[in-house]
Amino acid sequence: MILRIFQLLYRLPWLLLLSVGALVMVGTLALYSASEGAWSPWAERQMIRAGIGAMLLVVVALIPTIWLHRLSYWGLAMAVVLLLVLPFIGTGTGATRWIEVGVFNFQPSEPAKLAVIIALARYLSSQTPEQVQSLISYLPVVLMLGIPFSLVLIQPDLGTSFMLLTGGLAVVFAAGVPRRYVVSAMVLAAAAAPVLWSQLYDYQKARIMTFLNPEADVLGAGYQITQSKIALGSGGLFGKGFLQGSQSQLNYLPEKQTDFVFTMIGEEFGFIGNLSILLIYFAILVSVMLISLRCQHRFGRLACMGISFMLFLYIFVNIGMVTGLLPVVGAPLPLISYGGTAMLTVFIALGVVVNISIYKKVQDSDFY
Amino acid sequence: MKKRKEQKELSSVMTRRMVMLGIGQGVLGTLLVGRLYQLQIAQNESYRRLSDNNQFDQRLVQAPRGRILDRKGRLLAGNSEVFELRMLPSRIKNPKAWLQRVSRLITLKQEDIEEILEKIADQPSFLEVTVKSNLTQRELSRLAVLSPVLEGASFQKSYKRIYPQGWMTAHVTGYVSPVNKRDIEGQPDLRYLPETRIGRTGIERKMEPDLRGLFGFERVEVNAKGKPVRVLRDKQANPGADTYLSIDIEAQSFATERLRRGRWQAVPVHRAEVQEALMQDAELRAHVAMGDDLVLKDEKGRLVPPESGAVVVMDIQTGEVKVMVSTPGFDPNLFSNRLSIRDWQRMNTHPRTPLLNRAITGLYAPGSTFKMVVLAAALEAGVISPSTQYECSGAFEFGNRKFHCWNERGHGFINAEQSLERSCDIYYYQIALKTGINRIHDMARRLGLGDVSALGLVSEKQGIIPNRDWKLAQRGVVWTPGETVVAGIGQGFVLTTPLQLALMTARIANGASAITPSLVAQNDPQITSAFAPLDVPADIIRFLHKGMRKVMAGGLGTARKYDIAQGIAGKTGTVQVKRITKAQREKGIVDNIDRPWKERDHALFVAFAPYKNPRYAISVVVEHGGSGSSAAAPIARDILDFMLATDGVSA
Repeated sequence: MILRIFQLLYRLPWLLLLSVGALVMVGTLALYSASEGAWSPWAERQMIRAGIGAMLLVVVALIPTIWLHRLSYWGLAMAVVLLLVLPFIGTGTGATRWIEVGVFNFQPSEPAKLAVIIALARYLSSQTPEQVQSLISYLPVVLMLGIPFSLVLIQPDLGTSFMLLTGGLAVVFAAGVPRRYVVSAMVLAAAAAPVLWSQLYDYQKARIMTFLNPEADVLGAGYQITQSKIALGSGGLFGKGFLQGSQSQLNYLPEKQTDFVFTMIGEEFGFIGNLSILLIYFAILVSVMLISLRCQHRFGRLACMGISFMLFLYIFVNIGMVTGLLPVVGAPLPLISYGGTAMLTVFIALGVVVNISIYKKVQDSDFY
Repeated sequence: MKKRKEQKELSSVMTRRMVMLGIGQGVLGTLLVGRLYQLQIAQNESYRRLSDNNQFDQRLVQAPRGRILDRKGRLLAGNSEVFELRMLPSRIKNPKAWLQRVSRLITLKQEDIEEILEKIADQPSFLEVTVKSNLTQRELSRLAVLSPVLEGASFQKSYKRIYPQGWMTAHVTGYVSPVNKRDIEGQPDLRYLPETRIGRTGIERKMEPDLRGLFGFERVEVNAKGKPVRVLRDKQANPGADTYLSIDIEAQSFATERLRRGRWQAVPVHRAEVQEALMQDAELRAHVAMGDDLVLKDEKGRLVPPESGAVVVMDIQTGEVKVMVSTPGFDPNLFSNRLSIRDWQRMNTHPRTPLLNRAITGLYAPGSTFKMVVLAAALEAGVISPSTQYECSGAFEFGNRKFHCWNERGHGFINAEQSLERSCDIYYYQIALKTGINRIHDMARRLGLGDVSALGLVSEKQGIIPNRDWKLAQRGVVWTPGETVVAGIGQGFVLTTPLQLALMTARIANGASAITPSLVAQNDPQITSAFAPLDVPADIIRFLHKGMRKVMAGGLGTARKYDIAQGIAGKTGTVQVKRITKAQREKGIVDNIDRPWKERDHALFVAFAPYKNPRYAISVVVEHGGSGSSAAAPIARDILDFMLATDGVSA
């Protein structure tokens, strides 16, 4: 028994877990600073959530992989149901994105992203090589991806819906979809872009236009990007020091506890601080990808692949946004931004990854 | 077998695809690092500056204006702390709506709002604009309640210029008013100091560079809502230098009251007869509307406003001006903030021009006070000796004109000294003709007439001391002897200011130095050695002293009733403002008091005292006051008496 526990501990992806721990610590400190040097309201709650998240991670990591495989469609079904009922029971300013559960704001689109990836991993891994080649077998993919995508899009939440779509497409791509389909899909997307543009809300168009030229309206929509760039840029190499970021502490920086937390860290800890965070993320992504490559079954490989890609998307979109490379879309920085649903979703996703790395002997055939 | 191969192939495709995605992520990740490098390392400098701009509102700190004090350090112009509301246009989306909202809380007229909006349009939006200075306690508390929702508003402690002596010293101190567009054109720096007050007249204007001081510089740390968090003083404001004037406020206020009262009795303004007179008399009304409640009753029982005129008292050793009064005055406090149109109109339409500083800007024919000049010039030229006599028969025919003496019955035979004592005009017609206008001009200039003094006040007039060249240049015609005759009694072209008359008297009293007047306290006891010599023979000076003493002490002196124990030497002057026609003369000249005010003679008096050891020279002008002896001399007597008593100078 003790031996088995040691074996288990030995097999754990330690680099991944330590990196996650490090990020949670960095995030807590950042939130402590965001509230001008106080544990409330954000830092203490973030720690509690991280604790809950860690427990969820352990639970998910330890249940047999086959259960994950079986639960995957149910997970997607539940996510779709939640997204469907959201307009009726949800809240949010301007867009309906949350369900209030007591004091906790639950954001169904976050777990939906994970559910889509795992469900797609299960479906695509069940396809024979011939089926992978045939167009007809992608019809369910269109539904599994299209329905949650559309539901998130009409919330409306442009950013999250496109991240969901991109994450799903990455899984499809990794699953070996023939090159001809990839090319034609790209052509189709390019053709559809103008149509989509006309369907956007004004504020969404404004955000995109702002992204293209943020200085045009410094006190309006471009304010966030401009202030974020000023905060980052003024941080320099070593930053202004913990709790010393004038942009953040004087409230020039909006949303510094959520989407712009990376900016605040950059202002107070500089280029070095930002680079360190990127290195930790790099460690996590590489760990997950290695687990994916070493995995014996396609379900695990695709699930890990999708999860790593999803994490990457979060990171890239968030940092791209705060540095002015991408439009302002709501994208939290995984494990650092204040936000319960996103954090718990990441913990569950990492639980799936750890699960797959522990149960190495599982084969594709074991699922049927 | 085939399936196996396909499985393997798919597996390698998947691996390849994953590696592709990984590489893609790596490329994008590198892009992020590059972007961070660009922002945080390469462009750090410029973003740091932007962040500082965000963090700090840079502000110029107004320096308190230097005070103006009298010679004993009593306050003539100072600063009181006031609170003012300012707005920062860059933080306000719709300034007009903002101002309308504010105008519901504080008194803000539509014209003020328009003026502010104009100002906002004129200057860069990061500069604050004053919405209202001098907020009342009530306005302040109302605004304070709303300040959290009044974005872009700030309260600033500021200074308001105050003149505790009010109109008593208005003409000396002058006044200040806010920076206007024309000032900014001259000095572009002023645009950053919208709260600055600039001296417009008087000492405020003359000493402007010293009084203004140097503004300070502070950075106010502000949060994203524009609320100040803390203040960093980068440079302390350097207060303007205080100026000590030569004015003695005690003597000044005594002289002001004395001049205003003239010969008449004060009547309480609330009396029914005053109220009745106010209904009928527009001039009296204009006077009372200025906030003055002194109403006088003249010898005919008519209610009249206080006398207008000027008094200047100089120290005959140092040239310090200890008293400079011009009545009516005005309240300089009204100018410190935005002057209301009503107040401005009141001052401008007042029939007795309160804004005019009569002491230096008022031009009066010197009349008989000019006789010292003519006599000195004649004696110096040698055309007469002190014993030279002329017969006065009351009139003097020259050419085809008849020139009259003020004494129609004539003075008989009189000598030089008697001519001053009794102020015989005929004597001066004679000696002026003998001396010639150019020599008279020369003596007048030496005694300080006909030019602006060293006071440095811009409104000072130079007056006119004519000579032949002047006439030719100004009028294009040659000088006629008849004009010399008139100049001999200080009329005709001759014009002087009360300050010049005081200066003339002071130089005669001093006798040795060509002293110059100054409004700034002279602490240097060696000041007298800095003056040029007077260059008038000492025996002539002595003779003038004796003659002027006779005016006060002689049995027939024109001001014999008004001597004091310490001894005054003086000279009266009564100046016609309207020519007396032949017909009027035959009918008998109407008494001054029975003429309309504007047609009455100006009453002048110049004097120095004590006679033996002169300290002060004085000139008094009472506009349309009647005769110099009855209207001006008693005023001068009382002022000299007061000042000598204050100094402890006894007989």
